[in-house]
Amino acid sequence: MTSITSVKNLRLKFPGESEMLFKDMSLSINRGEKVLLLGTSGCGKSTLLQVLSGLVPQTIDIPIKFDEIQIPDQWGFVFQDPDTQFCMPYVDEELAFVLENLQVPREEMSSKICSLLKEVGLELDNIHTPIQHLSGGMKQRLAIASVLALKPDVIFLDEPTAFIDEKGTEQIWETVKRIWKDKTLIIVEHKIEKIMDFADRLIVFTPGGEILADGNTSMVFTQYKEKIKEYGIWYPGAWDEYKFKRLAENKFEYQNTLKLQDFKGYRIKEIKIWADDMEVQSGEWITIIGENGAGKSSLLLAFMQLIKTSGNYFINDLLVKKIKDISGLVYLVFQNPEYQFLTHSVYDEITYGLQNQQNIEADAKEILSSLKLTSKINQHPYHLSVGQKRRLSVATAFLQKPTVLLLDEPTFGQDSINTFRILEWIEQERQKGTIILMVTHDQHITERFATRLWKVQNGKIVADRQLNNSCKVQKEMLNELII
Amino acid sequence: MNSLFSGKYTWLHSINPSLKLLTIVGLFGFAINIHYLNFMLGFSCVILTLFIFGTGYSYKQLLLLSLPFLLVFLSTSSSMILFGKGETILFKWAYVQISEESLIRGIHLGFRALSFAMLGLIFALTTKPVRLFYSLMQQLKLPPKFAYSFMAAIRLIPIMVEEYQIIMNAQKIRGFEQKNNFLKRMQRIAIPLLSQSIRRAYRIAISMEAKRFQSNRKRTYYYEIGFSRNDLFFLCYFLVLLGLAYLLSIQYPLLPNTDVRSLSD
Amino acid sequence: MQKGLKLTDILVTIVISIAFGILYKIWGPLYYAVKPFGLHIDQLIYGMWFMAATVAFLIIRKPGVALLAEIAASSGEFLMGSEFGLEVLLYGIIQGLFAEFILFAFRYKRFDLFVISLAAFSSCAGSLIMDFYKGYIGDLSTWNLTLFIVFRIIGSILFTGLFAISIAKALEATGVTNLVRSSSKEDHEALDQ
Repeated sequence: MTSITSVKNLRLKFPGESEMLFKDMSLSINRGEKVLLLGTSGCGKSTLLQVLSGLVPQTIDIPIKFDEIQIPDQWGFVFQDPDTQFCMPYVDEELAFVLENLQVPREEMSSKICSLLKEVGLELDNIHTPIQHLSGGMKQRLAIASVLALKPDVIFLDEPTAFIDEKGTEQIWETVKRIWKDKTLIIVEHKIEKIMDFADRLIVFTPGGEILADGNTSMVFTQYKEKIKEYGIWYPGAWDEYKFKRLAENKFEYQNTLKLQDFKGYRIKEIKIWADDMEVQSGEWITIIGENGAGKSSLLLAFMQLIKTSGNYFINDLLVKKIKDISGLVYLVFQNPEYQFLTHSVYDEITYGLQNQQNIEADAKEILSSLKLTSKINQHPYHLSVGQKRRLSVATAFLQKPTVLLLDEPTFGQDSINTFRILEWIEQERQKGTIILMVTHDQHITERFATRLWKVQNGKIVADRQLNNSCKVQKEMLNELII
Repeated sequence: MNSLFSGKYTWLHSINPSLKLLTIVGLFGFAINIHYLNFMLGFSCVILTLFIFGTGYSYKQLLLLSLPFLLVFLSTSSSMILFGKGETILFKWAYVQISEESLIRGIHLGFRALSFAMLGLIFALTTKPVRLFYSLMQQLKLPPKFAYSFMAAIRLIPIMVEEYQIIMNAQKIRGFEQKNNFLKRMQRIAIPLLSQSIRRAYRIAISMEAKRFQSNRKRTYYYEIGFSRNDLFFLCYFLVLLGLAYLLSIQYPLLPNTDVRSLSD
Repeated sequence: MQKGLKLTDILVTIVISIAFGILYKIWGPLYYAVKPFGLHIDQLIYGMWFMAATVAFLIIRKPGVALLAEIAASSGEFLMGSEFGLEVLLYGIIQGLFAEFILFAFRYKRFDLFVISLAAFSSCAGSLIMDFYKGYIGDLSTWNLTLFIVFRIIGSILFTGLFAISIAKALEATGVTNLVRSSSKEDHEALDQ
């Protein structure tokens, strides 16, 4: 077989870093292979895609050195974030941008645009549709259509479904499998269930950027399972193997209630979320599910009094009217931790606003050590890895000792070790009596951890179920609700 | 661009955007050199007529858009009226000194600012940014890397506004609010907003180059933007009416016709 | 130094300007609230309008960035349909050119408070020249004109100089600036070890 892209003795170092990311790394990929790259975050998988496509160093200025490199003549690149792939406001204009780059005559553009959209299954009534009106999954298929226009032999896919819900993910991979069955695909992906059967070669990287294993997919998974597990890389069956046993309920440290009566949240005078009478007690862990845009985040904002609300909302018999009423009682952890960082060091961050509390230093140190962040205590929060940032933002919430803890996708994009760790901490808080409300797309969390489920649809809580965990029947019921 | 307002498609929309831009900038330069109140008044009327009848917006929408004009007028004229130089004193109180000259000059400035405001709005209300940048590339040879960067950035505006609100909320939860001073608050919001924006812009640029964008290479255009008879009409509108306004201002002045610039210089 | 600005430089510069455009929306009401009184208190915060230029330059550190940032910031206002749009656009170009001139005079190699404040001062001078033409500010009584100029200069140096540097420093601390700065020779040499 002939190789279509390869590199020999690659060295690469990010400016300002002391260690090289790759040191004399060699790799060769053959025509038609479907290669899956796995590794912890920061191990260099994405950077490797950029090197093999020539984006590094041509567009991205990172110093590299190699003995030999083979860059494919015709390649395309699908990136992670659906909002940073496009430069034009409308669907047709975006595809036209690619066609203009290829100097396709104007007269041919409209028909080409239509056929590209059809091929990726993006049938729109009007091709002049604002990209902002598309769902994340549709945006990614638009990105695939623009790559398709380049007629690539090799396609690099850098976590194309990271920001996409279950349904969108399925559609994306279905499209990719259909239109690029004969092409060479090099894929970085965490959610591997959907492409396990599709990838014929698997390369696993160590956290230090070396190749740990390279070979047939199922062979690598069986032979290197222990290592993969140790790195925290998601693998098929990771959730099944994860043993979580809920301790027998003992007395809560505090007994809390949250009560709603005809509670509505508004954005620009429009009702965005609506809940009938509800009551939540200490010990409950509620997961909130629903499609993108259903109103899940609005619900959290309403609880946090960041949007206008009407009706009654009580916490421990205190009627909540404005954000001041709930300061210290309710705390919301945002999906992007960076938004909430205020200071220049991890320690300042975690103790912000609490400096006057007794024992704060001891408490902070304790929580940092349990989060394995002690060594980072003086670092700038932005310099932490994605997982560390998330842990820090959750830890900050814990130190506030809220009555109600609201979390928006707290395990999003986390490796398995971090995911389990964060969930276990939340469980500890629950056992103390904190009410947990969590928006999540991850069905596994609902199945294993939650005690109750809310489903939000078109701004309304349409289902409210008590869950009795570790019960098989329940899985079916869940599936019913989710679909 | 204005999501709140959308009007009918008029002949002004069909004007070549580059020509429209150059004309409007030209009119700005021209207006700066008008020093006689009567002609300034005429100039404003010519612009006003186009603003009302040419933009394709309903009177209600135009009225709403014009509300800030009052502020524009007052804010530009007030300091000149109150503190300007002048010989013929009309009113004096402490440091405030209203003279006939400063009053006329103030009103002149007010009309000037009003005209600029309307010119700017005429352009914005009748020009789609995408067409403008396509036209700038085709007619004025703006390098594509600038044109597409602008278009990409415009697409990001709503995303960034939303992000700004999220950051405000996120920081409110952490108890970071009024108790801090203005600059500190600004900086705390600016840092996450800027760092996210820089990263986002950087990623978009990379994805554009991954789609084989090269600024110096020849390219075809999805929108070909040329000229039409309306463009000629557009130019004639100003030439004829401004000429007329000039003649009228000399023949039949409504107000004292003196140079508004201070004669003492 | 590579000649010309790369696509990444341009796009990042424009987006920085837009971010400032959004931040101005908070400042804006404050500005207009103090403006109509004629005593020029508004001039004290006038300098914020050309902050985007120095911040963008401090981040990207390349020729042309300051001018581009000013044009982007002001054309944003223009295209969105603001009452001051057209004026702002033309002022922006002049202010950007004046800032650029100072940075050029120092070969785009100095990023310290002195040079940045000088650029701020220069921008400010540019805007004053426009005002002499457009707003007849020369015809204000002398004490009033002095107040006007002094307030504007103070405001410029405060925002475009000091505050811009403080924002750029804070951004550097987050590491995001590494994305847009060119890699150094040492970085390349480090690969040979």
